[in-house]
Amino acid sequence: MTRRGFLDRSFKIGLGVALSTLVDIPLVVKRALAEGNIGLNGKKLLFIWLRGANDSLNSLIPIQDSAYNTDINPATGTVIRPNIAIDKDGAADYSASGIACDFPQSSSASADPNYATFWYQNGIRTGNGFAALHPSLKFLAPVYNAGDLALIHRVAYPRQSRSHFDSQNYWENGNPNNNTVQDGIFYRTMIQSGLAGTNPLTGVSVQSALPLILRGSAAAMTNLSDPTRYNLLGIPNNTGGNNKADKALLDAGFYPFASKQNRELLSLQYKNMSDTLAIFSAIDFSELGNTFVDDANTDGDSVAYNLFPTTSAKNGGYAAHGNDANKYVVDTNAYSFFTNLKAAALVLNKTSAIVAGTETTGFDTHNNQGKLTGTHPNLQRRIAWALYALRKYFTKYSDKCNWNNLVVVTLSEFGRTSKQNTSLGTDHAEAGVMFVAGGAVKGFSNPNKITGNPSGIFNCAGSVDPSVNPIGWTTGLNGSMFAIQSNYLRRTTDYRSMLGKLIRDHLGATQNQLNWIIPGYASEGTSKDEHLRVAGTSGVDSTQVTGELNII
Amino acid sequence: MRRARPLSLLLAVLTTSFSFQILASDPPAPVITNINVSGSTRALRFAPYPAASNYTILSGTNASLPLTPNPNFFLAPFIISASTNGTNYGYEWRVTNSTSPNGLYSVRVTPVSSNTLFAANVLNRLTYGPTPDEIERINMIGPDAYVAEQLAPWNITEDVAGTHANFATIENKFVEATNFVWRTNAAIADLRAWHVLRAIGAKRQFLEILLQFLENHFVTQWSKTSGSYFDTYYDDGTYQDAVAAQFEYLENEKWLNALLNPSCTFYDLLKISAESPAMIIYLDTVSSKGNGSNIANENYAREIMELFCMGVDNGYDQNDITVQSRIWTGWTVDKVDLSNVFNPFASATTNIIPGSTNTSTTTKSNLYGAWSFVYKPSVHNTSTKTIFTNKFVPSRFGPPWTTKTYFTNAVPGKYQIVIPGHTTSDTNGIFEGYQFITNIANYPFTEEYISIKLCKLLISDNFPNPSNDPSNANYNVYNYAGGNLSPEASLVYGCMQTWETNSPKGQIWKVLKTITDSDLFRSHGASQQKVKTPLEYAVSTVRALRSSTNGSNVAGSFTGYSDGYNISGSSSGSACVMTRTGNMLLFDRDAPDGYPETAPYWVSAGSISERLRFLQSFCIAIGQAGHTSTTNDAGSNTGCDIVGLLKAKTPASSWTNAAAVADYFLSIIYPGEGAGNLSLYRSAAVNFLNTDDNSASSPFNLLTVSSTPGQPYDNRVRGMVGSLMTMQRFQEQ
Repeated sequence: MTRRGFLDRSFKIGLGVALSTLVDIPLVVKRALAEGNIGLNGKKLLFIWLRGANDSLNSLIPIQDSAYNTDINPATGTVIRPNIAIDKDGAADYSASGIACDFPQSSSASADPNYATFWYQNGIRTGNGFAALHPSLKFLAPVYNAGDLALIHRVAYPRQSRSHFDSQNYWENGNPNNNTVQDGIFYRTMIQSGLAGTNPLTGVSVQSALPLILRGSAAAMTNLSDPTRYNLLGIPNNTGGNNKADKALLDAGFYPFASKQNRELLSLQYKNMSDTLAIFSAIDFSELGNTFVDDANTDGDSVAYNLFPTTSAKNGGYAAHGNDANKYVVDTNAYSFFTNLKAAALVLNKTSAIVAGTETTGFDTHNNQGKLTGTHPNLQRRIAWALYALRKYFTKYSDKCNWNNLVVVTLSEFGRTSKQNTSLGTDHAEAGVMFVAGGAVKGFSNPNKITGNPSGIFNCAGSVDPSVNPIGWTTGLNGSMFAIQSNYLRRTTDYRSMLGKLIRDHLGATQNQLNWIIPGYASEGTSKDEHLRVAGTSGVDSTQVTGELNII
Repeated sequence: MRRARPLSLLLAVLTTSFSFQILASDPPAPVITNINVSGSTRALRFAPYPAASNYTILSGTNASLPLTPNPNFFLAPFIISASTNGTNYGYEWRVTNSTSPNGLYSVRVTPVSSNTLFAANVLNRLTYGPTPDEIERINMIGPDAYVAEQLAPWNITEDVAGTHANFATIENKFVEATNFVWRTNAAIADLRAWHVLRAIGAKRQFLEILLQFLENHFVTQWSKTSGSYFDTYYDDGTYQDAVAAQFEYLENEKWLNALLNPSCTFYDLLKISAESPAMIIYLDTVSSKGNGSNIANENYAREIMELFCMGVDNGYDQNDITVQSRIWTGWTVDKVDLSNVFNPFASATTNIIPGSTNTSTTTKSNLYGAWSFVYKPSVHNTSTKTIFTNKFVPSRFGPPWTTKTYFTNAVPGKYQIVIPGHTTSDTNGIFEGYQFITNIANYPFTEEYISIKLCKLLISDNFPNPSNDPSNANYNVYNYAGGNLSPEASLVYGCMQTWETNSPKGQIWKVLKTITDSDLFRSHGASQQKVKTPLEYAVSTVRALRSSTNGSNVAGSFTGYSDGYNISGSSSGSACVMTRTGNMLLFDRDAPDGYPETAPYWVSAGSISERLRFLQSFCIAIGQAGHTSTTNDAGSNTGCDIVGLLKAKTPASSWTNAAAVADYFLSIIYPGEGAGNLSLYRSAAVNFLNTDDNSASSPFNLLTVSSTPGQPYDNRVRGMVGSLMTMQRFQEQ
């Protein structure tokens, strides 16, 4: 950049920008107002970031792939995951297909062998003849069997980065291998809705900081770290003093300022805070108000469990069984995650917000990841219980958002190595699993819900099926699990295809809008066609990809 | 020192003229963008000029005569839009008594003096925020002298230990305990509070900033050591906490001692990190094995290049990570005899704690000794390691980096490193690690990446990461060989040259001086461009109102104070302003990229509300509602005596003069903003002082001066100051 260019950019444009903070709707948004239905069709989305890169091969297990737990790796003389591979249940026929997912229900009688919530120690048969779930994911079964769950394996993006920070950035800014894009997919989605300038609450996160997926310069998305403390004091701290302080703060938000690099950002977020304080104060985020319970007795027990385990007392059947940790449904470090998840759910349910999300961390299991208990299994329990609970919450307690109008999607920056490492963990790799749940999601077709899909498992099956497994999974030590550098599971589906399909076919964007939200879509028909929509060979790295899948 | 120069711009038809040379960092003069005429009202709009001391509107009706200052113009709000969400206002300069049918207008801006601007930058960047006393001092000795002081901390006598009683309490815990067990009694909460207290009160402010920079650059995670790692050996959470805290403390102490050497190099700092047990554990080198068919753990190998030295994808690829990871196999930790803490070849201690009934000489909890870095040849990978195979320094770097030779390569620009293998593994293998870091510490990629990080710390966020991919937008930003560099890229290039051309290479203080000597640092480029991190926000809040009223600089004399724990947490898990405003846990970052230096991560509605609550609580007198033991965002030992400060610094005749009181606090809270840009804040402050808690009129000059909590005068002044500090400008750095 030239010196003149720098001056121009920093200050001349700054004039226009300084004035534009005073305008309600950014210019770019006005043209979009006529298009699409985002925010107008009642559909909402909840995202959950699984930060650290989930070991997907131990989540959605290709248990019928001999390489997973049978084949001997000649280099080591052992199977690839001697300490952490999940074993088959000798009594189950994993090759049976077209059936529902098993649900290893527990018993409420403490003397029974299946008393503990996670008594089952083998791969849970999903019923598609090939894949199994980690036993800690058992609470996915009811969601799966209702046809409300799609598990998409082998998801990644071209020229995969193995850096957490870069890869998380790409998943959030929707532009793989491009770190210069500083705004996020859902931010752009909200801008396209035309509502970001008028509704103070469109995209919301509940975690310690606003994630890139919601960041952008023309409108503020809202992040709360603790909704129960979301109010200001005054000096003195009484009604009069508080009002006086609030007014002074509000007024100051309009004072003109000389342009500086971060003043626009501060203005937008200060205004968003002023605009949203009243909205949040009307919602009960408190622990006392956390009375949401299952709509029936849970998991064979004699009570209905709390949907959001934010304390040990509300964690599964713990309290009902005299404080028995065997009846936990999630690990005891999960309480802050579920506090935030509950808040995100409340936001979607009680306000006009369209997208909400939160995160949970700890997935970077290089070391001692655990087989049936430990770090990785504990994290799986969180995922499964979260999806189970959200389905019940948005069905039983639905207000401004109903399960049929909601899609929950997980994000994780990559998968992990097929082989375990010497520290009994796994390292960074390529493709992983996306969990997608919702009333409108086209999972396992069953008498109560015809979805047209023979199973809810995508990209992880024994035979090629145009709807759920268009690109076959080759088994063995030279198969799909080692297709990249003889080491890593190769992608067949781009994460952008999944998010793109949800943004268009669920949230209601037009294809035109989607091309702007996820620029890779605009490559369709060109020589660098990334085939995000329609299957083909990626113009970036010549990998065969599925394009969008029939998940909604 | 440049004198203040007025800038003039004539409206529309008339030509623009400047009477001086524009520097890269001077913004262009403001342009009048709107003029509205309605009856006898004329309204002008123009964007404010940074650090404007004064705006004067000149007007006239005859183009052949000079325009004259028109004092009838005032800043007034107008409505931009109104909706159910509220009304949006803008501001314009308005005159309501214009009688002439036509008029010529221009705006003259008087900027603050360049020294004033520079001084504000210095206090914002080289310290944790201005204090009333430091503002006075920098105005007295001048910013250049102040910078020179801070860049030579070895010449400063540090007296921070006298500023709070907690120093003695905490520092007494940082000792090697006798009595058979080498332990420290300092918990992580103690270490954090100590770090915060030094940030608040140290004279060697810039040194403290650099120590925090290093802590956040060479990231280690206390909780991984105390929890995941030590859980294997101990059942004593308190002991585990303390030893893990000791690792962090030792890193800090070693970096401090290194930095107090004027020729400290980046390699010196890198070496301390590489040898730190905290780092060896954090990035899993501790359990990495490379002997036989074992595959080394790649975590440290990746991050030492990606995050600590070269920058992401800047000169290395996955293969380099895999091969390099083998170098570190054998670097681990163990409990050794106290006499062996500096001997990495020592074997584990077998000395049983006297009095122990357990006779095991291998159960760590049964033995006395110190956990230290040790090297174990038995797990080391002895193969030849060829790293950066056939790689050449990219052309964008230009000479000397593309024309000099590296390692033992004869071809210029080739930076391949070959570490020969061994037939047997012995203690010599330890040198592979040192060989590697000795080389990459001064590779062009490292010089570039670390310079960029330092520039981001001291100038602004506008220093993107470099790229070697010509199709990447950032490639041209740092194309040094291509020339035509932006001021930012030029500065990075200048830092790299300082790094490269002095001997030894990479002298940190010299590189820092290149930055502080730069135009960007001394003028608008660094002025108010950044946003404070949670640590900087909380500390700067205390400092802004902190003066030692009797000049003693000892505990009890300060008008703004904290016990440290209130800010960083009384225990490792407790809620405090640092956890609430973005979960900034000192010494305990879970991801090795460190807490972000740039703004977007920290600025969201939730984090802002928490920052404001802390500040408001801080300004409320201790014991009053909002700052009691139960409703105490700021904490019971963190507070200020705002009226005490006012009394110490201003004459008694002005204490009930609303304008004078407002002016004083504006001058210490916003020293670099310029009075011209603060006029609305000033009127808001005066208005605040002249209204009561129910916003009814209550003349400030009728109140009885008092610093007793709860008295109307005390509340009123605290409220006004709190109001000014909750505004957006105070988030800036």
